[in-house]
Amino acid sequence: MLKKYEKEFIGSNCQFILADSNSVILESTPAFLPIKKGELLTDLHPFFECIPSLVSLPERVHSFYCIHLSIANSKYITDIQIRSIEKGQLVLIQDLTKHYNNYQAVAQARNESIINEELIVLKNVELEERELFKNLFIQNFSHELRNPLMSSIAVTQILSDTDLNTEQRQLVEVLRESNANLKLLLEDILSISMIASGKLELRHNLFNLAKLLELLAFTYRTKATSKGLTFEISVDNRVPEFVEGDRLRLFQVLTNLLDNAINYTEKGTVSLEVMFNQQWANKIHLHFVVSDTGRGIPEDRQGIVFESFSQLTLQDKEKGTGLGLALVKGLLALMESEIALKSAPGKGSVFSFDLGLKVPLSFERSATTQSPSKGTSRNIGKPDRKYKLLLVEDDERIQTLLFKVLMDTDQFYLDIINDGAQVLEQVIQNSYDLILMDINLPNTRGDHLTKIIRDFPFKNIKQLPIIGMTAFAYEDHLKTFKDAGMNKVLTKPFDKEELLSTIFAYL
Amino acid sequence: MQRSKKIVILGHFGVGKTSLIRRFVTNQFSDKYKVTIGVHITKKVVALTSEDSISLILWDLEGTDDLDQIRDAYLLGTHGIIFVFDISRPSTFQHLKTDLQIVSRKIPDRPLLIIGNKKDLVPEDELHETLNEHAIQYNYLTSAKTGDMVEEVFLDLANLLNKDA
Repeated sequence: MLKKYEKEFIGSNCQFILADSNSVILESTPAFLPIKKGELLTDLHPFFECIPSLVSLPERVHSFYCIHLSIANSKYITDIQIRSIEKGQLVLIQDLTKHYNNYQAVAQARNESIINEELIVLKNVELEERELFKNLFIQNFSHELRNPLMSSIAVTQILSDTDLNTEQRQLVEVLRESNANLKLLLEDILSISMIASGKLELRHNLFNLAKLLELLAFTYRTKATSKGLTFEISVDNRVPEFVEGDRLRLFQVLTNLLDNAINYTEKGTVSLEVMFNQQWANKIHLHFVVSDTGRGIPEDRQGIVFESFSQLTLQDKEKGTGLGLALVKGLLALMESEIALKSAPGKGSVFSFDLGLKVPLSFERSATTQSPSKGTSRNIGKPDRKYKLLLVEDDERIQTLLFKVLMDTDQFYLDIINDGAQVLEQVIQNSYDLILMDINLPNTRGDHLTKIIRDFPFKNIKQLPIIGMTAFAYEDHLKTFKDAGMNKVLTKPFDKEELLSTIFAYL
Repeated sequence: MQRSKKIVILGHFGVGKTSLIRRFVTNQFSDKYKVTIGVHITKKVVALTSEDSISLILWDLEGTDDLDQIRDAYLLGTHGIIFVFDISRPSTFQHLKTDLQIVSRKIPDRPLLIIGNKKDLVPEDELHETLNEHAIQYNYLTSAKTGDMVEEVFLDLANLLNKDA
């Protein structure tokens, strides 16, 4: 009984071929391969051309697995055994096509998955490298722009303090506004680059939210009015006056949203609403809504407005760089929030987000109302005496501009040197009240000099207030300079008020 | 009399071994990746001169990143070796030196050509930068897709085997 089944199975899947030492087929069992007596094995398939090389080997049995054979227009995947016998070779071919095809499918899936995974990793590495290059480019670009912008801002300021006729004053005003826009743009590009490279860190401090909203209300009411729009602000009375968070970044988010709303609204209203969601212990959740009655954004474009340099139409190029909403999205993500947008063409847009902020459980207002701007303008216009400053700056244009700004106040004596190597000698020989120190100096760096000064054995020199001035605006740079001992670092471009208030804060 | 020479084509999976053979034997190319299991054997007669030719029996072995796993039976009677790596995938050439040591141990004293395939996927400047960075020694850079340098590889090996014979 079993013999019958065995014969059936072996008959259909196994073929025995006997060949002489010249590979001439002497005999074959009838199975799946059509083989005739007298044919050459080597004519059947190139695989069998290996047989002559096996004859000389000491082993008498050779097994080959998973051999693909194409014979008489049919394809087989086989295991082949070749035995050297007295008269030549006995070849056993076993057809395992079905079995190996299953294995092939598994191998296909496995290999494809491994290769795809590897390609994704390579793609990510490439993208990271591109991102790094982009951020480095932005960083250098921003650095190169800061010095000329600084000159432009300072010259504009000096010009505006001179006697100008109405037309000249209007022109200076255009210049001032352009400088301000350029500065803002530079900050936006840098912020986006810093968010992308993970270098932007939030700085949480206690701040007066009510005052921030008042400032926004004043600014945007003015802007809206000048464009013939109405500005409305509504703040839930449960919103606390003081909160803990990153004031600067929240301000950036709200100004970008409000600027955007005003830019894209031709008539009607722009509004800001701050709602109180809930409070758990010392954490409150606020809901911010900026809405407008502008032209609205079609649904299929709502995703891309949060991408850098995206604008809805070519005409929008005149209204900005397309960075604002990308920055809003990035900043809110850092604050663990997310921007939402509801809009339809002709029906305006509503941008909203939730924000978790801390509130002090026991809070004494007197302790907090002073510090951030401590002494900022305490002596402007009312000097007890004239102060002696050392300006270390190698850019002659900036030297001239700072000289003009500082001399105009009539509150300072000023020494100027442009070589870092002279700083120590100058500091030892003179009694300065403060040093204004550029970072990139010939022969040495401002932060290195600061470190040396801080290590001086003489208290009057060691404790000299040093204000750094730099076009390097990344936070890790600023941290390095502060770690070196600089009391404060001003990022170029800075304006007259910023410079003077900083100087007076440390005098 | 025409001589037959067995050539094994080795390398990691997905480097284009089958595509190189297909391009050489039938001058065809397909972008679709089909994993080779076991061995495909094809044959091509190559004319060395107007009067002399050689029959190349090409053993296209299943790709693996562990060359020690290759069945010894597949390598019996090998006359020449082509080792292929994929220029666009560093994992296929990162351990080239070790891979070649294994090959030399398993098939000693046989002519070997080292081929970097898929040159069409990598820009020229990056290509040399990558190969220099990994200190990769190679004989040919090929593209089975465009056919660039494919014929040259097999003809070169055929001539080497002819000299050996």
